[in-house]
Amino acid sequence: MLKQTLAGALALGLAAAPAFADVGPTVQQIKDRGSLLCTGHNGSYLGFAEVDDNGEWSGFDIEFCKALATAILGSPDALQIIPVSWAQRFPALQSGDIDVIIKVTGWTMSRDTELGLQFSRPYFIGPTNILTRTELGAQSAADLEGGVFCINAGTSIERIVADWMGARNIEYESLTFEKAEELRAALYAGRCDALAGFGPFLAATRFNAPNPEDFVILEDVLALEPESIAARQGDDHFIDVINWMVHTLLFAEENGITQANVDEIRANPPSSSVERMLGVSPGYGERLGLPDDWGYNVIKAVGNYGEIYDRTVGDGSVYKLPRGLNNLWFNNGLLYTLVLD
Amino acid sequence: MLRLLKNRKARGWLIQIATLTIAVGLVATFVLTARENLLNQGIATGFGFLERSTGWPISFALIDVSDRSPYWEMLLAGFLNTLLVGILGIALATVVGVTVGLMRISSNFMLNLLGTIFVETFRNIPLILQVIFWYALLTHLPRPRDAIDIGGAVFLTNRGLILPAFDMSGLDVVILVAAIIALVVLAARYAETLGSRVAWGSATCVALVLFLALLFFGRTPDAALVTLPELRGLRFVGGFTIKPEFTALLIAIMVFGGAYVGEIVRAGFLSVDRGRIEAASALGLSPWQVNRFVRIPLAIRAILPALSNQYIWLMKATTLGIAIGFPDYFMVVSTSINQAGQAIELLALLMGGFLLINYVMGASLNRLNAAIALKGRT
Repeated sequence: MLKQTLAGALALGLAAAPAFADVGPTVQQIKDRGSLLCTGHNGSYLGFAEVDDNGEWSGFDIEFCKALATAILGSPDALQIIPVSWAQRFPALQSGDIDVIIKVTGWTMSRDTELGLQFSRPYFIGPTNILTRTELGAQSAADLEGGVFCINAGTSIERIVADWMGARNIEYESLTFEKAEELRAALYAGRCDALAGFGPFLAATRFNAPNPEDFVILEDVLALEPESIAARQGDDHFIDVINWMVHTLLFAEENGITQANVDEIRANPPSSSVERMLGVSPGYGERLGLPDDWGYNVIKAVGNYGEIYDRTVGDGSVYKLPRGLNNLWFNNGLLYTLVLD
Repeated sequence: MLRLLKNRKARGWLIQIATLTIAVGLVATFVLTARENLLNQGIATGFGFLERSTGWPISFALIDVSDRSPYWEMLLAGFLNTLLVGILGIALATVVGVTVGLMRISSNFMLNLLGTIFVETFRNIPLILQVIFWYALLTHLPRPRDAIDIGGAVFLTNRGLILPAFDMSGLDVVILVAAIIALVVLAARYAETLGSRVAWGSATCVALVLFLALLFFGRTPDAALVTLPELRGLRFVGGFTIKPEFTALLIAIMVFGGAYVGEIVRAGFLSVDRGRIEAASALGLSPWQVNRFVRIPLAIRAILPALSNQYIWLMKATTLGIAIGFPDYFMVVSTSINQAGQAIELLALLMGGFLLINYVMGASLNRLNAAIALKGRT
């Protein structure tokens, strides 16, 4: 069935005019179903995928799910969040339980080559830091020689810490937990001296501690991990849609387009590229097989990258995570837009 | 052909062959379909990843593994951890169970009440809750700096119980434990022919000699025979640490298993026909002799089948270690699935491992059961 669809898509692609992109199998499935199946978390992963008492999801990754649903289906509500654990995310994608993984997933070589995954451009740069107890008086990771490090089991952090400590010949003991709740409980109880992990997660852990002043995030950056959106290998069109969705959010921020002023700017676009992005002039949608105003819909639904960041993990949220490297290049960040011609 | 079908024996064979063919065909179809789907999805298959280094360490292992060890060594370490906690857990559960079972059939009101409270409490709380409860309790002990000091040699902290250690490797300890178990079995067997004092005495001597041999020849050269734990920085250096993850899982299995084994033991003793005991007393046997020659042998025969089931159940319960970060076989496999991505191969290894442990255990208990079954009756 899939083979036939692919063959059909290929034949059509050769025959049709190049301006009209053919919709890939994943987008076709999403359209037929009328909703996007996106990743949640088993429990709450603070700041990125949080679930409240009513089962409503929010967070940085969830906003990206909404943006993708809006891009393809026109509405942020055309979305089903499927809670999956870290371990389940790849099998769930391959078996079709979800369409896409937006779950701070690091772009690693084995995942890229052996798991049949295709990664989008990075949408978040995650530093790996160390959170430790203030009373230990540690200035850097070297001061934690011999300490117990709590780490999320099965994540790339396990390897990053092993590599980093090994290279510096620092002895440590690693204690791993599957669930974030148990990881935090072990740190708060003092079972471990430090928690190594994804910077934003550490900030959230510190914020939620019984007494946040008892904990401090060390300056050491063990690694920078590019977080990307993952889809099944072999559907180039879907990856195109994802990449340009990320571009849209960044482009809007670069051009000062926000959720609030998008109507205003659309009525009076300052440049031809903004005109194209908002669907005033054609091209932005049809080349991806989407409606021409999808960019407008996305910004109208979730706002630009900066707004999403601010609302979920940044100054507008309880976590107050600085933008740091997750800023546009001219603000000393690592993010950039693609060329919209 | 028709005549063949009419023959009852031939028909029986044909049905068996057809069933077998269908079963094999189903399995083959499953394997082939999975393989084709994996190939279509671009997922690498096979067991080649077992040779690759893991890049992550585990917190507890009997053999020497690090982040540079290949997957198969890491999986073996997990497997041994499961065996360790399972076997110790089952042994302790049996001790607790027999004690509780005897308390419950005793005529002493206090003992009876205590046994009943124990069974009713621990049998009716889900095992995972108990595991998390014991773990929470152990991790809330004082930190290494404020450790509870017992005689300057033993320290109780939230990092575990730290004991002075003989300089032996994990493997030496495994050899020693296995040898002691073997010696106990042998001594028990030859106790009657050689006399119990000779049998147990020589077993103790052999164990001591083996222990000293391992201690002197198995250790790293020039290391002290005994190391005392000493607080240095964030941790205790030297000595032997029993980690709280291990202890919590062991206590939970011991207590939960003990409650069930207790009930099995009680039922076994109650199942012994009153008439036989009265008959034994009527023959003039003393109460101790009644127990030794009539009640216990009969009770054991009733207990053993149910106990085998319980043992296999307890061995499978070790997988709850994942909830508190104890790297048992299941947790190592789970982490490997995440890191290497070979879900089907690793799950097959996981199932194969547990099948092996439980089959060996089940088969040996069944043989034991058959060996002690009352002869001439079914």
